Amino acid sequence: MNFTDFGMDTASLAGSLEAKLDAIRNAGFAQVMISAADVVAHPRGTTAAVDAIRASGLRVTGYQALSDFEGLTGHLHAYKIAVAKAMLEVCSAIGSRLLLVEASTSTHADRDPDVIASDLHKLSVLSIPLGIRIAFKGTPASRTVRDLAAAWEVVGRANCPNLGLAIDSFDTLAAHASLELLDEIDPELLCLVQLSDFMWTEIRSAAEQAATATHFRVFPGEGVHSDSVADLVTKLDHIGYYGDYSFDVYNDDYHQLPPQTVAQRARGAALWLGETVLRRALPVPNMERLRRGPNP
Amino acid sequence: MTNAMDREAVAEPLNPLGFDGIEFIEFATSKPQALGGVLEMMGFRPIARHRSREVELYRQGTMNVIVNAQPADVPRTVQPVERPVLSAFAVRVRDANAAFKRALDLGGWEIPVRAAPMELNIPAIHGVGESLIYFVDRYDEFSIYDIDFRAIPSVDRHPPAIAGLDFFGIVQYVGAGRTPDWIEFYSRIFGFTPLPNRIRFGIMPKGMLLQSPCKQFFLQLIDPDEAATDVPWEEHLQRIGLGTADVLAAVAALEKRGIEFVASGEVHSSERGALTRPYLGSVMFELVHEDSAAGPGRK
Repeated sequence: MNFTDFGMDTASLAGSLEAKLDAIRNAGFAQVMISAADVVAHPRGTTAAVDAIRASGLRVTGYQALSDFEGLTGHLHAYKIAVAKAMLEVCSAIGSRLLLVEASTSTHADRDPDVIASDLHKLSVLSIPLGIRIAFKGTPASRTVRDLAAAWEVVGRANCPNLGLAIDSFDTLAAHASLELLDEIDPELLCLVQLSDFMWTEIRSAAEQAATATHFRVFPGEGVHSDSVADLVTKLDHIGYYGDYSFDVYNDDYHQLPPQTVAQRARGAALWLGETVLRRALPVPNMERLRRGPNP
Repeated sequence: MTNAMDREAVAEPLNPLGFDGIEFIEFATSKPQALGGVLEMMGFRPIARHRSREVELYRQGTMNVIVNAQPADVPRTVQPVERPVLSAFAVRVRDANAAFKRALDLGGWEIPVRAAPMELNIPAIHGVGESLIYFVDRYDEFSIYDIDFRAIPSVDRHPPAIAGLDFFGIVQYVGAGRTPDWIEFYSRIFGFTPLPNRIRFGIMPKGMLLQSPCKQFFLQLIDPDEAATDVPWEEHLQRIGLGTADVLAAVAALEKRGIEFVASGEVHSSERGALTRPYLGSVMFELVHEDSAAGPGRK
């Protein structure tokens, strides 16, 4: 089996950071998406958290998430720049080469696309000396950048080489978004794909979508949209996406289970995707998939 | 009358900072005398010492080299160790404060003020690795060294350059696939322009050349070989390029002073350029042919 394309989020698991990292590694994963809360809330401090992550041997897929960043002015902008810089420093310390940025949901944020693009460009330039890429993701609750199409527009407008896009399967499933857009997007722009599913067939309101997104996600293959998840992953493979997949499963039940139990469920998802959907078995000798280097 | 700006988009000036060459390049090392010995072989002379920090100024011709042995007091800066590291360079600009503020607006990281009383606060941003980039606007009538440094008694403060050597550029190693990021950084914040691949200087063929807006200074970005993309490759400033109209005369003069040049299969001294062997484990200089004192791209 080949798990190297898939990783777990620490946010999917209960327990200490060390217990989460152990569970993820013991389930066979080689990479992990780190949530900021798991680093800064470490009982022995951020330095201990950084040490634990570096000692885990897991590659860090990315650090999440900077939110409500763009479109602010004056002192709010200065405040968010300070927050962003502090997050970038932790991101760098844990060996992450990617920061996930979720589109602003703030009602104080300017909706002018040029302002949003300019702020994202500034954040991207801040990230360059640290060797970090910015993965920008639309958010259904945002007033301006709700989905992949809008995020793509903004990222194109900002036009910075280390600024790209993150795709969240939950959002595309919930919105019944067409995958045709992916034919137009340069796969090099895609920095991260987050995969999860949910258990209801329909989401009837924005409130239900928000609640589902934060409490009732399940791993790919566990929900009722397996075909759609498979279509998305197959499509991404087809357009030449060779980046990382991470399971962004936020589920209250999973926070009441031992982390190793949940990590085994994630392992099942990776097996399903890797061996059934993508048939990404071990590379045949001398026929290895062409991959870009580990960075960016 | 309508303002011209209302009628048409006026492009930003090509040299928004008034970039005017390099004021100094800095090494950090815990063994400043050893590095001083190498610099003196290269034709630099010790000129002055910093008033409050363990910092020395070396000079030849128009080139100022700072040797910094002061323990680092700012995160993400070079902690001096025995092996010298290129730790900073200073760009001459029209208005240092304006250039600094503009850099911060565009995404530069400021460093905290470190000046002691009566010293100049020279603004700086973080560059590649642990290096810094300073902004200096006092280089005409009086210099930053007049204030922060004490001259070493009885030395010639303006020693001539060997074979007209001047700062040509700096070579920077970048991570795999990171050349576009650094082009963006230097072009956006400083106004550097990437040169087409057919324009090459010197004898080292690799890398992306960026020309400063004043056309006097070059950055050369070198990324790892394709085969080595999985090997960790630390990003840093690697070596200084020195320009001269007569490379072979410069090589001869420097060899007489004890400097050795690389002479292997592909790299050897020629009229186009030359490369010194590494000293103290890391210090190399590359000589590059310039057409005249005006330099290769200098008009």
